[in-house]
Amino acid sequence: MGTTASQLGKDVLSEYQELTFLTKQEILLAHKRFSELLSKEERDRPDTRVPMEKILTLPELKSNPFRQRICQVFSTSDRKDGSLTFEDFLDLLSAFSDSATLEIKSHYAFRIFDFDDDGTLDTGDLEKLVNCLTGETDETRLTTDEMRQLINNILEESDIDKDGTVNLSEFQHVISRSPDFVSSFKIVL
Amino acid sequence: MTSYSNGGFFNHAYHDSETLEMDRRHSSKTHHTNPYASHDPASWGESSEFPGQTHGYDAVGRAPGGGWQGESWRGRESLPTRPDSTRQHDRNHSTFRTDRDSQYGRAPPYQLPSSVSGNMTMRWRRIAVRRMSMFPDADPAHVAFTEDAIKNEMENEEQDLVKELVAMSTRDRIRTIRDLLMSFEEKKHIRRQVEALKSSYKSRQFTRLADFSENVSLSVRRAGYTIKSTRQTLELWQGIMKEIGGKFGSSVLSYFVFLKWLLMFNIFSFLVNFGFITIPLLVHDPSPNIPQNVSFRGLELLSGAGYFTYTVMYYGGYSNETLEGLVEYNMQLAYFFTIAVYMVLCGIALIFSMASSFRQNYVVAESVSNSAWQLLCSWDFSVTNDKAVRQRRNNLSVQLKESLSEKAQRELPTRSEKLKHFGIHFGSWILSTGLTVGCGASIYYLCRYEQQRATDTENWSLSQEAETLLVPFVVSLMNLVIPLFYSLFNKFEHYSSQRTQIYALVVRNVFLRMVILAVLCYYWMNVVAEKFSCWESVVGQALYRLVIFDFLFLMLGSFFGEFLSNVIGTRLLLSLGIPEFDVARNVLELIYAQTLAWIGIYFSPLLPAIQILKLFLLFYLKKVSLTQNCQPPRRSGRAAQMQTIFIFLLFFPFFVGALSMVAYTAWTLNPSEQCGPFRGFNNTFSVVGVWMAELEEISSSQWAVWIYQNVIRSEIFYFLGTLIIIVIIYIFWHVTKGRQELIRLLRQQIINEGKDKSFLLEKLHDLQKSNLSRNPKQKKQKEHTKRHLDDRSSSSHSSSNAMVQALLARQQFEGEERRNAGGVPVPSDISTSSAVMQAMVARQRAEREQDDLYHMPDEYSSPDSALAQAFAARQRAKAQESDEDNGSSAVMQAMQARQRAEADRGLDTGDLPFPVSNVMIQVMQARQRAEEEDRIQWVPAPSQNTAPPGSSALIQAMLARREAQNEYDDGY
Repeated sequence: MGTTASQLGKDVLSEYQELTFLTKQEILLAHKRFSELLSKEERDRPDTRVPMEKILTLPELKSNPFRQRICQVFSTSDRKDGSLTFEDFLDLLSAFSDSATLEIKSHYAFRIFDFDDDGTLDTGDLEKLVNCLTGETDETRLTTDEMRQLINNILEESDIDKDGTVNLSEFQHVISRSPDFVSSFKIVL
Repeated sequence: MTSYSNGGFFNHAYHDSETLEMDRRHSSKTHHTNPYASHDPASWGESSEFPGQTHGYDAVGRAPGGGWQGESWRGRESLPTRPDSTRQHDRNHSTFRTDRDSQYGRAPPYQLPSSVSGNMTMRWRRIAVRRMSMFPDADPAHVAFTEDAIKNEMENEEQDLVKELVAMSTRDRIRTIRDLLMSFEEKKHIRRQVEALKSSYKSRQFTRLADFSENVSLSVRRAGYTIKSTRQTLELWQGIMKEIGGKFGSSVLSYFVFLKWLLMFNIFSFLVNFGFITIPLLVHDPSPNIPQNVSFRGLELLSGAGYFTYTVMYYGGYSNETLEGLVEYNMQLAYFFTIAVYMVLCGIALIFSMASSFRQNYVVAESVSNSAWQLLCSWDFSVTNDKAVRQRRNNLSVQLKESLSEKAQRELPTRSEKLKHFGIHFGSWILSTGLTVGCGASIYYLCRYEQQRATDTENWSLSQEAETLLVPFVVSLMNLVIPLFYSLFNKFEHYSSQRTQIYALVVRNVFLRMVILAVLCYYWMNVVAEKFSCWESVVGQALYRLVIFDFLFLMLGSFFGEFLSNVIGTRLLLSLGIPEFDVARNVLELIYAQTLAWIGIYFSPLLPAIQILKLFLLFYLKKVSLTQNCQPPRRSGRAAQMQTIFIFLLFFPFFVGALSMVAYTAWTLNPSEQCGPFRGFNNTFSVVGVWMAELEEISSSQWAVWIYQNVIRSEIFYFLGTLIIIVIIYIFWHVTKGRQELIRLLRQQIINEGKDKSFLLEKLHDLQKSNLSRNPKQKKQKEHTKRHLDDRSSSSHSSSNAMVQALLARQQFEGEERRNAGGVPVPSDISTSSAVMQAMVARQRAEREQDDLYHMPDEYSSPDSALAQAFAARQRAKAQESDEDNGSSAVMQAMQARQRAEADRGLDTGDLPFPVSNVMIQVMQARQRAEEEDRIQWVPAPSQNTAPPGSSALIQAMLARREAQNEYDDGY
């Protein structure tokens, strides 16, 4: 732990503490875990990007059905390959931490569920979301009919302005009614 | 509107710039069917990057969709005809510019942050949200158009944000930046800017005091971080908790979190009791005064009697002296106040955690059982185990299917079925209540029987001591077995929802435990207190035995409940399956155990130590039992709500019960004569009276005596206090009711707005359809008209009534079209121009109404009515037009053919069946946004219509209008 602390530097560390919801220990742990994904020479360069495949080897993300979406949402890479810098990684952990606000959590959840990045959850997004949750195997997958019905139910429930899609505020409204969301939208290193 | 809006948007040089020229070269028209298809996901992150960086043009160059927009621009710019109109346009444009500059050029670009920081916070929050929401709808090509405008706008917003942040206090600032909905990089950028600005301020107005306070706040913050991180290091069982959460999800984890919370509670109470009662006594007199004939026999560990009776474990072991050490230490007062303060602190802690839990979990939680969204949002991101994830997916899939079928065939039960259900419920309630009452009665008689045989504790034989174990054994056995019966009843009952089923189970279990504890307490208060010479210690021993036996039976319970049913489920009866961890039952056991510890706090001050040990072992026991025997729960969700209920239960019947028991003991019962700190008093509380009598002689502590006389001992004080509290509760109750009503109204309003919107959209769509078919060769002219109008309208009004303009544009276009189509027929020209006139009038009216809006911000429905008027005018115009339109039937036919072609095309573009309506939605949204922004601008500062947010909305509106145009063009 001591070596990682010196690597990060006091100023940087306090900046990270101010900008994220993480504590010092969590930031140091995140740095340690992140450095383990890098090779020796990469470690010395700042702002190295870790490709998505490597990030997804972390046990915390490995079996998450939304792992790729999570990386894509938090990645600031120009190439949209889902690669993360350390700061992106911290951003991820911060949003998934215990102390992040409901607003931030629901915002990121919305972006994760918005598979085509168009700013609304439309039928296609919802279908992908349900498929992600139920898995792609034949026995768990919903049939086309069930899917249609389910999406109808979802829209009926949440599409307040009846435009056929769920937008961010409608989504946040839904989230505010499911109290388990905050406790389950959580990833701890 | 600020000065930046004329920076690029209306700047000709910009449109003719090299960059755009380049873009136009590789333009293609294939993208138009679905603008989102061409929308590279990249543009999200990219366009929300900071404008200060030079990414702008590159982004456009890279974005594949950058081309087709350029095409339409070229179409516009390469107008072969009507050079005079272009000039006209230029003239308009230049007047607009000078006008604007003279009007607003001198005005400061933004307002400096004022003292209304709350308002501010809302504003920047909105800005931040909008920044994010602005881009998803816009496709990258649009960014190309208004690159400069947006850049400027964003710069301005950022500047505003930075200024606001600088004005805040350090703590607020940190929290604010942290809560921003931005990526880490952006936050960092903002923070750096704030720091830079702050240091520049500081260098200008350096004061020693400011510097000092800054340093102090920095060190306080640092200390806060240190405390936070040391707490993190001390976090018990973090790894195990994570493992459990990863495998079994957060609902099972909540049991362990609860257990840990109780453990912390007990550590606190142990420290308090040990520190203020036991340590002073031990320091004064370390050797316990044990009679010669008593020795440690081993059975004490179970019974708590014998050797332990004379130690500091129980009430009887404490002296009533004032300890004379370095300072005088009155044991009586210490004992009384420690227990009292501890109970009060417990109550406060419980109330606070209950309140926060309620606030988080019950605020707007509705009783929508099995709603689809709740299932979708219930995914546990903390689950990391591969197998658990698979299982969870299966469960979720089953639950989703169930919810579908439930919804499909939710029929009301018939009368006979209802009756049957009612009968079963009634029967099982009778049975469970009977069982509970039976348990209570049998425990009472058992105690009576034991009491008849028991003598004073001085000279118990080993068998006598063993006999005392009978009552705790029976009680614990009942606690183990009866809930199993309840679960069995539950299997036969058919509750409409799972929630009521769980609640019924919880209520019965709580009732059982309450009855048992009540009977025991009654026995202790009324029988034991009369009979034994040192009855507090006897009660303490009884509680000790109960705690120990409860622990033993908990172990047995997890053996039978989990291990055996696992063995049965996997080996013998495969249909039963692997058991699930029953969170409700386990939590209730914990609550019961904690209640015992609370009741015992007066009789046996060191009981928390036993409780700590018990909980500590229980944690590992349950963890092992869980991982070895159980599977993750099939139904997820509701963990948070259950936790709230458990904390509430812990508080309401159990803590309140224990508190009243202790309070009753302290106020009314005679303390035993021979032992304990309160020997010789009528009741425990009179120790305060004695102390007050002593204090009266000291003049400096008269205030304490006064408080005692006038507050603690006066009925009127309590009477008034109760009255005030009741009034406050009544007021809050009504406030809550009002809020509920408000929520209902607001929800209704949202629904109504949605209906309005869809109605208008439908109308628009119809109009669009009937109108989309016009002669294609008129396109350029139309475009010209539109553009012409664009400039005029944007110069004429700050609010972008994009909709009205679009309509008007079409109106004019129709007029001009008529003129062209029918050769130069003078009469028809006149009639159509009258139509145009009407439209103009409608538009003016709309504008007027919008003007009015600024004075009456409440009536925001008026633009809609203006819109409706515009519609009406337009329809009138159309009607007139068709009346006149007899000379150009050929044109009509051509139009109809076009319409058909349009329809076909509409079918072809499967992804976007109604491209135009889609665009219209955007226009409407943009308009709404613009209106909102303007309202906000106008209400606080009517003269300040130059602030940035309003104009940003305008830009969005314009963006949307451009898109409308382009879609419209592409339609041809």
